[in-house]
Amino acid sequence: MLVAGLGILAAFVALALLAPWAAPYDPIAQDGAARLLPPSLLHPFGTDNFGRDVLSRVIWGARIDLQIAVIGVVFPFLIGTVVGTLAGFFGGWIDAVFMRVIDVVLAFPFLVLMLAIIAILGPGLSSFYIAMALVGWVSYARLIRAQILVLKTQDFAVAAASLGFSRARIMFRHLLPNALAGSLVFVMSDAVLVLLNGAAISYLGLGVQPPIAEWGVMVAEAQGFMTQAWWITLFPGLAIVVLAFGFSLTGDALADLMGVRE
Amino acid sequence: MIRTWTKAAILGLVLSTAAVSYAEAQGVLTIGRREDGTTFDPIATAQNVDFWVFSNVFDVLVRVDKAGKELVPGIAESWEVSADGLTYTFKLRDAKFSDGSAVTSEDIAYSLTRIRDSELSLWSDSYKIIADMQTPDSKTLVITLSGPSAPFLSTLAMPGASIVSKAAMEAMGEAAFAEMPVGSGAFMVVEWRRGDRVILTRNPNYWEADKVSLDGVEWISVPDDNTRMLAVQAGELDAAIYVPFSRVAELKTDPNLTVVSDASTREDHLLLNHEHAPLDNVKVREAIDFAIDKQAIIEAVTFNLGEVANSYVPKGALYHSDDNGARGFDPEKAKALLAEANVGPISLNYVIDAGDQTGEQIAILIQQQLANVGIPVNLQKVDPSQTWDMLVNGDFDMGVNYWTNDILDPDQKTTFVVGHDVNLNYMTRYQNDTVKDLVAAARLEMDPVKREAMYAEIQKLAKADAHWIDLYYSPFISVTRKGVEDFGQNPLGRFFLEDTRKTY
Repeated sequence: MLVAGLGILAAFVALALLAPWAAPYDPIAQDGAARLLPPSLLHPFGTDNFGRDVLSRVIWGARIDLQIAVIGVVFPFLIGTVVGTLAGFFGGWIDAVFMRVIDVVLAFPFLVLMLAIIAILGPGLSSFYIAMALVGWVSYARLIRAQILVLKTQDFAVAAASLGFSRARIMFRHLLPNALAGSLVFVMSDAVLVLLNGAAISYLGLGVQPPIAEWGVMVAEAQGFMTQAWWITLFPGLAIVVLAFGFSLTGDALADLMGVRE
Repeated sequence: MIRTWTKAAILGLVLSTAAVSYAEAQGVLTIGRREDGTTFDPIATAQNVDFWVFSNVFDVLVRVDKAGKELVPGIAESWEVSADGLTYTFKLRDAKFSDGSAVTSEDIAYSLTRIRDSELSLWSDSYKIIADMQTPDSKTLVITLSGPSAPFLSTLAMPGASIVSKAAMEAMGEAAFAEMPVGSGAFMVVEWRRGDRVILTRNPNYWEADKVSLDGVEWISVPDDNTRMLAVQAGELDAAIYVPFSRVAELKTDPNLTVVSDASTREDHLLLNHEHAPLDNVKVREAIDFAIDKQAIIEAVTFNLGEVANSYVPKGALYHSDDNGARGFDPEKAKALLAEANVGPISLNYVIDAGDQTGEQIAILIQQQLANVGIPVNLQKVDPSQTWDMLVNGDFDMGVNYWTNDILDPDQKTTFVVGHDVNLNYMTRYQNDTVKDLVAAARLEMDPVKREAMYAEIQKLAKADAHWIDLYYSPFISVTRKGVEDFGQNPLGRFFLEDTRKTY
């Protein structure tokens, strides 16, 4: 499973890195004479309503969508980890304050809160990353906090404290490494969520701006042509599904490997 | 094959959710449209969704004919204009409101006073010219203007100037009337399910009631274009408007459907903000005009159903001029003009409504075409609720908009677009005092021949200044089931549902 998952991810990473060579056409070059062509040898995935090659757009789209999945996970992970560690270790009022903030964030529907933040910041990918960071960290914080709460009463932690180690050292050298396994697994399933969110936000016109190729945007742009040109929506849609599947497989395999059950 | 399967799958989905909700009554015409109306108070809206329904619920004093060429009698059977052009005397026909009471000159004076004076009115400025109204008897209305006005009679045909029942309005109050109006049109409102549908039934008191064939009309909002088309294909709707250009060829091959294409006054154009350098330089604006391949836009966006626009006055509309010096597609000339203008590197911000598919397609094409002559364009998608404010505040370099005429006379659009109106020449900040003076003079000129020459001159001057970029004219396209006859609209958008028949 791990091999399959990592294989899919590696394939997409390779595709993204090699896009300039792998894509047969310029992803944004329009060709008025080649509009809405069905898949053929010349255009394996067909062309869209501007005469752009769908295969080339799907390949270049991998760059943007992988970037969305990675950046969209990294910041929530970092923020959530720090907050969760502090809250779990110190407890008391620090914990109470952070937990109430988390409750507030969780009280709003996820996508609605994201849309509200993006609406304030203005459409664009950077707004999406900021919104992701502001909303996504709570899951990581709760995961880490729960782990730290358990770990800090265990013998090795008590021993470290009795040896007179600084609190920072205990938190980040002793407790955190042991608490991370769960959230590393969660990173993989979260990447799926972020990827779909990015596609959804772009689909709504608030993420990636045209003419850049991104799978969610491609599906949205081609919606009006669904009945006469299925290929424009199908292939980017499939790309989203397969990449998400790759993340899921990897996540599951990691969970088995590390003995973590979600 | 796959195409058929996707279609079947989608159809199944639509059927399962929608089959129960559309009424299927004999003689009731169900029409799908994108969105529901906002009000039935004629003076409180400027939107086509409202106007297009008003025309069959209310009457106006004078009507625009089917061809969109001339004014014909409405509630006014005949009218006379005094030699000085200041006094209009209207003779009213015997007409009744849907509640059975007679339409009197009193009601008309009341309706016109409302559109001129009411705080709710969006149209006050166009009617301020009415100085006085007299009602010598219940069938005679005398309007005195404060000065001569060539477009005045046309403004009386605008749906905003619809005639409401004074008694009903006063008895119900304005808010209640806006939900359940009393008019004298061919149909009357029986129910308005907000956000869903407007249900009209035939008005037995209509002055031409014997001509009306339909028992009723339901305007049903089906926002998604694909769903709306599928509903007509499946026979759940009798008709649908706003047919996407991309679907026309395919729908035409369906033996159960008729695709109706009506000449319209719609013009899509690219606004340029003259206050933002280097768009203040006429050479740069000219270069943009030369750089944009309108024919390519027509092919990609309208699937060849549109036509290149040369002037802000729509083709077929009163005083449209073909000979105004419109620029062809010439990227080399555009580059030469840019070099001549010598304004250094240019980068422009192009505002589009998020979710507007057609607008986005135009933007992507223009972005590429301008890139070809060395002008990078940054597309900025904005929530539709914000775009209007951004345009009004001048927070943009360029953006696409469209206009459909509300009145027959070119004065309204001309004033808005080049005549220095309150909206800064339709947000472009275009400044040309010669044009401004000419627009004011043309409004007062009562001789049609001289007026036509003045409008030809205005169109020439405005084009020379590249006040905005005219893109394309496009028809109104709707689709009906076979057996729906005489369904259609005039170039101003009015549907003639009083003539429509359903033969199944």
